[in-house]
Amino acid sequence: MKVSPRILLFMLIMFAFSEIACSQARHSRSDRRAHYSSSYNYEVEITGVGSDGTKTMKVWGYGRRVEDAIIQAKMNAVASVIFRGIPAGHGAAATPAILRDPNAGEKHADYFDEFFSASGKYINFINLTTDGMPSGQDRLRMSRPRGYKVAIYAQVMYDNLRRQLEADGIARRLDHGF
Amino acid sequence: MKKVFIILLISLICFSVFSQARRPTIMVVPSDQYCISNGYSMEFESMGRTQTLPDYTAAMQNDPDLRMVITKMGEIMANRGFPLKDLEMELRNMQREAAEIAMLASSSSGSQVAETPIDVLKRTAGADIILDLSFDIRRQGPHRYITFNLRGLDAYTSKQVAGAAGSGAPSSSATPELLLEEAVLSHMDGFNAGLMRHFEDMFENGREVNVMVRVWDNWYDGDLETYFDFDGEEKELLEHIEDWFFDNTVQGRFSLADASHTLMRLEQVRIPMMRVDNRGRERAVDTRGFVSDLRRHLRQNLGIDSQIYMRGLGEAWLIVGER
Repeated sequence: MKVSPRILLFMLIMFAFSEIACSQARHSRSDRRAHYSSSYNYEVEITGVGSDGTKTMKVWGYGRRVEDAIIQAKMNAVASVIFRGIPAGHGAAATPAILRDPNAGEKHADYFDEFFSASGKYINFINLTTDGMPSGQDRLRMSRPRGYKVAIYAQVMYDNLRRQLEADGIARRLDHGF
Repeated sequence: MKKVFIILLISLICFSVFSQARRPTIMVVPSDQYCISNGYSMEFESMGRTQTLPDYTAAMQNDPDLRMVITKMGEIMANRGFPLKDLEMELRNMQREAAEIAMLASSSSGSQVAETPIDVLKRTAGADIILDLSFDIRRQGPHRYITFNLRGLDAYTSKQVAGAAGSGAPSSSATPELLLEEAVLSHMDGFNAGLMRHFEDMFENGREVNVMVRVWDNWYDGDLETYFDFDGEEKELLEHIEDWFFDNTVQGRFSLADASHTLMRLEQVRIPMMRVDNRGRERAVDTRGFVSDLRRHLRQNLGIDSQIYMRGLGEAWLIVGER
């Protein structure tokens, strides 16, 4: 069978295009799993000005089951105000991170391992404002890896959390040294 | 011997634990723009020109929104370990102090309290960090929203050390008081983070102050460009003073902004927060203490008398020539 040079050229061009398109964003399943379970992966959005000493936010979590994703979302809510801060939005100004040192998580790794453990202190500082299982747009089913991405609306006791970290010697008080 | 060593060790630990730097005072003051645009102002003639100045007493007496914002800010700052100096009380105290000084007389001779014109001039409300505040309740159709502007200004270096500004979410149902409270709650954490950065910088690089060296008019023996001999080096007094600043500031950091035979203006002078005194005690350093060391150096090593004039925690003048 004889293939015309014109068809051959067309096939070559198509092949080259498909290679460029596919090579840009192809992550393996393990890459995606690492991304979802990364301790740096917080998706947080402030939802308004909280009442005195609190921050209200919508926060996402990943998990194999919805319950696991909710637990991770709660941890993310607390972790985001400790390490990263929350950008401004919905009439609320940006919330600064309680710890200003970008490497604070690594420096106090033992403390935060215990703080964010299953029965750790972190849960003291969460007031969950949505009851029951998230549904609709707040509950997304993922195929690879299999699991759920869910959003909860949470109220973080920001002042209490800051005071706890100050008392434990992790954060510095504003009047430290005076 | 062992006991002495233990006592020495304990006292050293005590000094290092309990010695604390001097805490700057903070006061919320409504901005000139806020006072004048809301009618809390006074006008007077000066050199043929009409000047408009803010009337803080009128603002504090007539503006419930302002009082509410200051109270809320005071509450938040007190929770963070920094109770604010209250402008209203400060103004009231000043009036009472002036009345008391005028009435006070010695019981034996009837003498009045000595007060120089400078003492009278210095009797003004002040703080080391001024929180310059302005806000506005605006309308957008049926909605109301708040614009909020808070600047933390170092009273001596005139630098803005922290700030928070922005608009709140518009609302048609919330009362202005609620919107104002929301604005304070929304901005204070960011503002305090800025203040924290400033304090951390102070402890790392020293407190930033201004120092001015001037010469008394009747000092006939010389001026800042007169040569003096110290440590085998013959230099102008100005250079000796510069050397002293280089040796005594944190990492030799200061800048000589202006110099002539009668004046040295030293800015961004980074003085240490703490020092050990002659008795081995660790003490907080303020500008007066720092400039006192320079005064001692000039007296002991160059034979020059001088006088210190304090302008608060962050600025001092040294006037050389006589005491």
